[in-house]
Amino acid sequence: MAEERPAKWGLVVDLDRCTGCNACIVACALENNVPFVGEDEVAYGRALYWIRTQRYWEGEYPEVTPTFQPVMCQQCGNAPCEPVCPVYASVHSEEEQINLAVYNRCVGTRYCANNCPYFARVFNWFDYELPEPMRSYLNPDVTVRRRGVMEKCTFCVQRIVRGRQKARAEGRELRDGEVQPACVQACPAEALVFGDLSDPESRVSQLARSQRRYHLLEALGTLPRVTYLKGVGNHGG
Amino acid sequence: MSEKISRRDFLKLTAMGAATTAVMTGCGPMSRYVVRRPYTQMPEYNQTGESTYYASTCRECPAGCGIIVRTREGRALTIEGNPNHPVNRGRLCARGLTAQQGLYNPDRIRAPRFQGRSNPATPGRDLTWDEAVQVVATALQKPPQRIAFLLGLAPDHLYDLVSELTQALGAPPPLRYNALAALEGRTTLIEAVRRLFGSPALPYFDLAQAEVTLAFGADFLQSWLSPVTYTRAYGAMRQGNPRRRGELIVFEPRQSLTAGNADRWVPIVPGSEAHVVLALGQRVAELRGLPVPEAFRAVRPEEAAQVSGLPLEQLETLAQTFATATRPLALVGGSALTQPNGLVTAQAVLALNALVGNLGQPGGVFLSAAAATPTPLAEVKALVERMQAGEVDVLFIHGVNPLFEVPAALGFEAALARVPLVINFAAFPDETALKSDYLFPDHSPLESFGYQRSLAGSDRPAWSALQPVVVPLYDTRATVDVLLAAAQASGQALLPYRDEVDFIQQKILPLINAGGFYTAPEILTFWSRWLQHGGWWTPAAGLPTPTLERLPASFGTLTPPTPPAEGAFYLLTYANHLGDGSGANRPWLQELPDAMTTVTWNSWVEIHPRTAEELGLKDDDVVRITTPYGSVEASVYRYPAIRPDTLAIPFGQGHTALGRWAEGRGCNPAQVLPAGHNAAGDLAFIGTTATLTPTGRRRPLARVESKEGVYGEH
Ligand code: SF4
Ligand code: SF4
Ligand code: SF4
Repeated sequence: MAEERPAKWGLVVDLDRCTGCNACIVACALENNVPFVGEDEVAYGRALYWIRTQRYWEGEYPEVTPTFQPVMCQQCGNAPCEPVCPVYASVHSEEEQINLAVYNRCVGTRYCANNCPYFARVFNWFDYELPEPMRSYLNPDVTVRRRGVMEKCTFCVQRIVRGRQKARAEGRELRDGEVQPACVQACPAEALVFGDLSDPESRVSQLARSQRRYHLLEALGTLPRVTYLKGVGNHGG
Repeated sequence: MSEKISRRDFLKLTAMGAATTAVMTGCGPMSRYVVRRPYTQMPEYNQTGESTYYASTCRECPAGCGIIVRTREGRALTIEGNPNHPVNRGRLCARGLTAQQGLYNPDRIRAPRFQGRSNPATPGRDLTWDEAVQVVATALQKPPQRIAFLLGLAPDHLYDLVSELTQALGAPPPLRYNALAALEGRTTLIEAVRRLFGSPALPYFDLAQAEVTLAFGADFLQSWLSPVTYTRAYGAMRQGNPRRRGELIVFEPRQSLTAGNADRWVPIVPGSEAHVVLALGQRVAELRGLPVPEAFRAVRPEEAAQVSGLPLEQLETLAQTFATATRPLALVGGSALTQPNGLVTAQAVLALNALVGNLGQPGGVFLSAAAATPTPLAEVKALVERMQAGEVDVLFIHGVNPLFEVPAALGFEAALARVPLVINFAAFPDETALKSDYLFPDHSPLESFGYQRSLAGSDRPAWSALQPVVVPLYDTRATVDVLLAAAQASGQALLPYRDEVDFIQQKILPLINAGGFYTAPEILTFWSRWLQHGGWWTPAAGLPTPTLERLPASFGTLTPPTPPAEGAFYLLTYANHLGDGSGANRPWLQELPDAMTTVTWNSWVEIHPRTAEELGLKDDDVVRITTPYGSVEASVYRYPAIRPDTLAIPFGQGHTALGRWAEGRGCNPAQVLPAGHNAAGDLAFIGTTATLTPTGRRRPLARVESKEGVYGEH
């Protein structure tokens, strides 16, 4: 079997395509067993969205317009959430080279969330029971977290692993676009593109070289793996 | 059932293919009895830890997107898009993605039931399906003119079957109604297409290739016709055209998600859309050196400017942008149609497209391949009158919740009480189900066979297939099967179908020779491919080109909007991701922030911040909104992108039934809407005015725009 090249997974968010429809949020939640918390907990700021759309209003009536920016864990190459965790629950994975949350190590100090400049990490304050038979739809590939645990976007690592195993079993390399996180797969505007940044020909690499590219809070030096493409015209970016 | 065979045997049988054709065709619909079991009784084709994927069709709205459901050990896990499906090409919207929360919803109706509707002396009780079939059979023997069917917009195969059944009985044809279709003005659009182009179809707009698009009220990114199709097209329009980035200009009084993404939002007076389109059309014709058609002369530009509040110079600039564009396109829907002038607006916009010569052109207007059924409120109104007059002995209801979706002013509830027998096939205990005599629950869409053949978003002739992805969880039964069994039991030879699958197979039989991307020598092999691919469509894109013989001299009478009285406001409602309100029992749709306001789990009233300030209102103040038809209460959301003289309330909340996640939150704008309709028979509510009274109470809205939560704010 051919020697495998470690992939450098990356995501591009094209804000000129993104409409702010939020399909990505739901796709993520149902793939990753993210619990819904109910009206009160949302109002306390305890909703568990792994990806959210930041909506800001710009301009004055009638030239007012919302800007939409989907934000998930930026998978920092130099991740501020990692060194502060006393139990190594926020770690970099060797194989996928992304930042993972190890739920059964997490003791809930929440230092990592304080240190994440992107508000990407969410804390499970309670056990959110699903009434029967709702548990039937839980994805067996993803741990169901309980209370007291920090959680966040993993680039759908379970899908990366599944794709890699399939390719290995078939004795070939992964094809560009074969692995898609749930948000990318659902996005009706095709605003999200995922792939291997170490392959200069992949779609994600090509887009990440666009003149419209930027990173969130670039000055912090976190080296995010998520690249945004500026909206054009009077909205986005 | 002796015919039961496992899926594996079935696949083996069909794999034998053409050689066994003669034998196979005599076998009957064996695939009907393919069973899918929960993991406790795992079917043999299922391997622990391996996913099985089934292609089907989303039924969360009428668009009919293709889905692939990932199942494991007999459970449906995630809903993914079908990458080959012509409507959505692998993409989905928030509603489609939460369909499993409908399937596994704990509040489903689990067995056929009789309810003591009005008489407490007759307690409700569970029934067997044999009893249920008998009830339906007896009901079908009533005088045909006194039988009525009220259906939703999905699924099409049930509508087709009921159409045949009512015809065989000599009963009136089934009626369809759906709040989403009413809010998007679907019937008006169909009628406008019929008047101008001669066939009652929905138009298909090639947004992806358009370069300058004017949209009049069509919220195509969230609810209009086929949101996934048009969101994909929107993405391509922005970044997929190598020549230039497409431009979008939206005219509507309240900024929808679509207007929020536009390059320019033009907040004209509600009800003045027709005036604006006609004035634009005149200038566009002149600028293009064409004679101005008579119908466009119905208003003078000055008058349009005055009525709409859009200055003449801006009207001129817009006309020039449109007239000089290489690929101009004009869309119409929603608030531009659901008003007294709706049919004028719809025809004028279609004619505007004809003026710039984009009919059948890339970036232009086409006709959907299949005929579309209108869903006029006017006919629901006629039905209500018949019910009131005691002319309806039995009412069958499926896929629609009139006590929630139809404006309360129509008096459906009182009329329903006058119908001696109401049989409801609802899957959930919704408002109407609770007021019905019999509940004969249909399967959940993910447990059902069926098809959707009216696909507004398909760029080619297509049918979308439904198949069960799990074995039915409860003692529910396909409504088609119940009706067929009842038709048989009633002793008349009404319909030539053995069961639902037999019916569907007979309906799709002509597709074998219709030039699809696959075919088969006989129906059983064709059927297995139909299920495998999730439907049937042609290999190449292509839709009929509309032809315009001659424009009428007039599009109809034009009524200028009446400005609200002192202290009153225009009131409008719109569909967000909760759609027609049937999605309100999906907890993740409740938890999902509204795209524009980020509010979750509740209703709100949108008020321009300046107006709110004048009235001394802050966010979260509870206000009462009163129209001549009723009143509702909701918290204030100061919405910067709405006209200062307009209020808006989203549709979909305010359930008094429908289960634990839907009940008792927010308000239902159908309580305050008028029951009037426009010339096409569609609900007409734009132009309704309302007054606003503070209640002195506050109720914080769970908004996600505040990352720290909102409870700390007060
Ligand atoms: S699904 Fe796509 S278009 Fe919708 S909000 Fe997410 S990124 Fe934007
Ligand atoms: S975005 Fe936040 S959670 Fe994600 S890797 Fe960076 S610091 Fe850690
Ligand atoms: S647009 Fe309609 S059919 Fe398509 S995924 Fe959404 S709810 Fe389903």
